[in-house]
Amino acid sequence: MKYILMMNGTKADFDGYAKWSKEDLQRNVAFMRAFSKELKDAGVFVATEGLGWPQEAKIVRADKNGEPVTDGVFPESKEFLAGYWIIDVESPEQAYKIAARASAAPGPGGKSGSMPIEVRQVLSGFADLGI
Amino acid sequence: MKYILNILMMNTMKAGAGVPGWPKKDLQAHIAFMHNLNKELRESGEFVSAEGLSFPDQAKLVRAGKDGTLITDGIFPESKEFLAGYWIIDAATPERAYAVAGRISAAPGPGGTPLNMPVEVRPILSGPPPEML
Repeated sequence: MKYILMMNGTKADFDGYAKWSKEDLQRNVAFMRAFSKELKDAGVFVATEGLGWPQEAKIVRADKNGEPVTDGVFPESKEFLAGYWIIDVESPEQAYKIAARASAAPGPGGKSGSMPIEVRQVLSGFADLGI
Repeated sequence: MKYILNILMMNTMKAGAGVPGWPKKDLQAHIAFMHNLNKELRESGEFVSAEGLSFPDQAKLVRAGKDGTLITDGIFPESKEFLAGYWIIDAATPERAYAVAGRISAAPGPGGTPLNMPVEVRPILSGPPPEML
């Protein structure tokens, strides 16, 4: 079963991250790289991506004529997807265990950040929705 | 440049409700629309990946405790938006990414009426900036 592990944050969370020292950022990035490599070595890795920052986000809606209308204004409370991993594992418990590893990624001063990771199953098709 | 097109849903969506409540013919039209769009994006060479996620009632929030132990929680604020699914496309310009998002926004809903749903568009990073390495 495929699971997605998502890191989410508000604009304030992203701004906080941007203020980390270079050393802290390097340590965090090194952890993320080693983590992805470990998932690959274990044969559970499917995909990972990091997303552009909230300032770059646009909401797009089609107008009456089907033309795209863009808007870049979001409530302060909105959580943005920062990045994700998709893994292929045998059970939800295994997915949660791997998510806890990501959660313990080093934060400022090298301390475990205890960052919340949202975990959900990825569907293989519309049939999985029971429709 | 790669872009992600995110479809969001509210916390109130539950498996067996929401979209599955549509008449079968409307659902089929919606699914056919998505399949055709994916086919078109593959033919234009812009398709990278697409996934649909399970409903919010399946979501867990996982944290590492102090000693690395696992803490799971399934309680989310009512206001939380959940990712319902996404496309990653390789588009020549942001405008092209917005145009594809506009197509997705107008996917047919009940009675074939365009949903005009919001689609969040952001660039995908190719890697951490050099100063972080």
